[in-house]
Amino acid sequence: MARPPVLHRVALAPIYAALVFFAALTLIPFAWMLTAALKAPQDFFSGLFLPRGDGLFGIAWNRLTLGNFLRLFREFGTARALVNSFFISSVTSTLATLFCAMGGYALAKFPFRGRGPITWLVLAALIVPGTLLIAPGYQIIWRLGLLGTYTGLLLPGLAPAFGLFLFRQAMLNTVPTELIDSARIDGAGELRIFFTIVLPLVRPMIGAFLLLTFLGAWNNFIGPQVILQRPELLPLSVANTNLKGLYADDYGLITASTLVSIAPMLCLFLLLQREFISGLTSGAVKG
Amino acid sequence: MKSIFGRMLMVLSPGGCIILLIAGLSTLVIIFRPLPGLEGQAVWIYTPRHAEIYKRELAQWNRLHPDNRAHLGLFEYHAFQRRLLSGFLAGTPVGDLIEVERNMIGPTFTGTFDDVGFVDLTDHLRDEGLLEQINAPSFSPWTSHGRIFGIPHDVHPVLLAYRADLVEAAGIDVSKIETWDDFYRVLSPLIKDLDGDGRPDRFLLNLSTSPLQAELIEALLLQAGGELFDGQKRPVLDSELNAHVLARLATWLVGPRRMCVDAPENTAAGDAMRVRGTVIASVMPDWLAGAWKQHMPTLSGKIKLMPLPAWEKGGRHTTVLGGTMIGIAKTAPDFEKSWAIAKYLYLSPQSAEALFRGICIISPVKSNWSLPVYHQPDPFFCGQKIGELFIAQAPDVPLRSSSPYNTLALEKFDDALVSLCDYATRENRYDAGELEPEARRLLGRAQADMERLIARNVFLASQP
Amino acid sequence: MKPTSLRSYPAWAPWLFLAPFLLIFFAFTAWPLVQSLVLSFQQTYGPRRAAFVGLANFSFLLRDPLFWKALRNTTLFTFGSVLLQMPAALVLALLLNRPGLRGRILFRLIFFAPSLVGTVFVGVIFYLLFQAHTGIVNQVLHALFPSFDPEFAWMQDHVMSSLILAALWMQAGFGMIYFLAALQDVPAELIEAASLDGAGPWQRFRHIVLPEIRPVAGFVMLLSIISSFQLFELPWVMFNSGGGPDNRGLTIVMYLYENGFIIGDLGYASAVGWVLAVLLMLAAIIQRRLARKQED
Repeated sequence: MARPPVLHRVALAPIYAALVFFAALTLIPFAWMLTAALKAPQDFFSGLFLPRGDGLFGIAWNRLTLGNFLRLFREFGTARALVNSFFISSVTSTLATLFCAMGGYALAKFPFRGRGPITWLVLAALIVPGTLLIAPGYQIIWRLGLLGTYTGLLLPGLAPAFGLFLFRQAMLNTVPTELIDSARIDGAGELRIFFTIVLPLVRPMIGAFLLLTFLGAWNNFIGPQVILQRPELLPLSVANTNLKGLYADDYGLITASTLVSIAPMLCLFLLLQREFISGLTSGAVKG
Repeated sequence: MKSIFGRMLMVLSPGGCIILLIAGLSTLVIIFRPLPGLEGQAVWIYTPRHAEIYKRELAQWNRLHPDNRAHLGLFEYHAFQRRLLSGFLAGTPVGDLIEVERNMIGPTFTGTFDDVGFVDLTDHLRDEGLLEQINAPSFSPWTSHGRIFGIPHDVHPVLLAYRADLVEAAGIDVSKIETWDDFYRVLSPLIKDLDGDGRPDRFLLNLSTSPLQAELIEALLLQAGGELFDGQKRPVLDSELNAHVLARLATWLVGPRRMCVDAPENTAAGDAMRVRGTVIASVMPDWLAGAWKQHMPTLSGKIKLMPLPAWEKGGRHTTVLGGTMIGIAKTAPDFEKSWAIAKYLYLSPQSAEALFRGICIISPVKSNWSLPVYHQPDPFFCGQKIGELFIAQAPDVPLRSSSPYNTLALEKFDDALVSLCDYATRENRYDAGELEPEARRLLGRAQADMERLIARNVFLASQP
Repeated sequence: MKPTSLRSYPAWAPWLFLAPFLLIFFAFTAWPLVQSLVLSFQQTYGPRRAAFVGLANFSFLLRDPLFWKALRNTTLFTFGSVLLQMPAALVLALLLNRPGLRGRILFRLIFFAPSLVGTVFVGVIFYLLFQAHTGIVNQVLHALFPSFDPEFAWMQDHVMSSLILAALWMQAGFGMIYFLAALQDVPAELIEAASLDGAGPWQRFRHIVLPEIRPVAGFVMLLSIISSFQLFELPWVMFNSGGGPDNRGLTIVMYLYENGFIIGDLGYASAVGWVLAVLLMLAAIIQRRLARKQED
């Protein structure tokens, strides 16, 4: 751990000032959205953030309302879209993590014929930009008859090349082959070894990757927009944009919808900061 | 039980456990959640404005025809576009009756004749005598490969709406205005700097080069007699008349005789400007009258309508803006049922009246024009009988192109206008005559682009 | 630690573990890659109707002013974005790296929060913030600097700036995390030795810290370039599913999407995709070369 020499408290003051300034810049959009979502349409332009009035600090506290949120859930099926988002993100992340862990294990710990070419193939896929695959991917999903279904949306995302790579690295670094061998000698089956011995050793990577893919799937926009057809199946990312398209002037509604869409991710991050960050950086600093 | 949780925690961190839990729960919900079963014909629309009116009309229809019920599906514009194309080309589900707007229908016509997902209605329209009953120019945007694919919604004649209160308070008499030059000359005293910051705060007309205003520019071009495509659907962007119009439009937007400001319709920002009086006049198609009444009630009693100033003396005093049709998808299970609903929604006197009351749209069926609802004074417009005023312009409404590339051509025309304005500002040239050569050059480039684009399409090229 | 196993295992074992991944990978990554090459030589109208057109897609692309505009916009955005985000992330990381700083976790949370929001939602947020008349950016700036035009048309005339600022807000915290980790790894002895030798903070930074974090900086820059080049959702949402006024917000991926899914020509979209892939490869190679040169 390297830190610059400890500074005198007073010298820290400008640093705090700078940090507070940047933090304010970062938080203002969130704060504004919150106040906008709590305002009724007629109050929208009465104050920059909170509506002016006779209450404390000259703000009309009694005019704040949850009406926009209620409308969202009652009239626009936001609860449904929320469940869809949770479904898509959680299933994608759990299955992708499982498949990548399994595949990484195989590539790291089994010297079999074909291991070399497969590793190279997947590594090469790392370079391919995702946007190159949208058009042919759409055609293939159509050929399989999976257009408009969740299967068609989820399936392609369950084998991310970088996931395989991350787990392969993790397995190589933290799983001693002797442990596996001694378990084999003891007569344990391959699957049992995988779930009871190998996976616990890569627990940090599992947690980090789960969160990363969850985040990616939660914010995924092109995929659902192109593949899903029925509006009842749409996740929040698409539903929110459609709402903005239809009701562009109803800022209260749009900000409320955006807040509902981003709140779960922010909560997850609040609870699981360390895992998130370790997962992000593990790929970089070593790779 | 304990060992299972223990084992899970060996593998998954708390975060991971949460996600696994969410996965399990949400999967259960998704599997057992009922998808709303919608019965009867599906009528797809893209604008909330029609939603209210159609809901009532369809409720009435469903009461009278329990064997041919219909429900409404409202989708956001771009999502609608995508689903339309996906439905026609990839076989995903689409509505049975589909209401489309002019800018949406282009992509459905760029394939072969068999690729068009709408049913060819030409014979039905002819056999039932509807071709004569409906205002003929209204069919133009919905015709492709020589056949008609939808029932038109409208005529969309256009008038000029202006702030009568501000104009009359300044003692100006608008009856003297015959051409756009008159318009500028007579009303320019109203362009003022009201707050002393050196910049004018009041402008005469809502117009700009933003993409939201592209249709307005096309409307003005059509008024002048210009066009983007000829009768054979070949692009003709670089005609002399088009260049002339482009040059004159540029002088409206930049320079010492600038009279326009960007106050897009149907936006909060634009409406705020209209209410404040930053904009004196707007080009008003019939549907916009309805929108204004809804969005800006404080302007009631302050607005009057007059015919559009012509481009030249003796020229056209109206144009056309927008356009909607209803088509029947080839995948609709029962054509006759869908056809009946379509005719009711679009052609019946009841719907015509509901439509005019709701959003001031004139029915395309000529026999409906004698309905009393069109001849009542409107308090919003200072007692003017706006139905009559719009109907009076109906015979002069210009044709709209049915080329599938119209939207693209319009974009390029708009781009040329932007470039021309930049050129004018750079070279300090603000006289329309001086700008015409550059306008011609810019349009020539746009024309070449369009020709290349159209020549590229192998599917259209293989069709007669 | 020998990587190979001493004990024999059933031959099907590795294949069992690889099966789910490989099956999906081949079906939805490898095969589409091959298909995209085939498609790029075709013109399609939806997935059903396709016609072979040889190199026509590429020749049209090279002459299409709209593509060049998209390329220009995307490159400008990438330059501006990377140029602003890297220093911003580094500054934040340096600020947070001070010992004795209270509330580090809180600040880290605040700065990273925008990265979690997702480009779609950042687009919605900044669409509202940058509104000319009703957005708070103009109102706040005008309140602070009365000479600032309260109707500054961010999304009309300053499209690129709006996009770069929105991306900066979203991504600065992301880079900060990487730089923080890198700063932690700088050996303490080097710093102490340098300060004992009388080196001031700036010299310490320039000669010790900077070289140590260069690899991470290179990695972050590469990630940044690759994701900036594929910009799509931010302008798509901000400009209401389009390229904005005069297509100033049109990006390469947007151009791809419009051609593939709004016009229906999946073949042309694939051709655009390949051009993008080649450009990305070039960008990555250039960045690696420059990084290597600096290290020498």
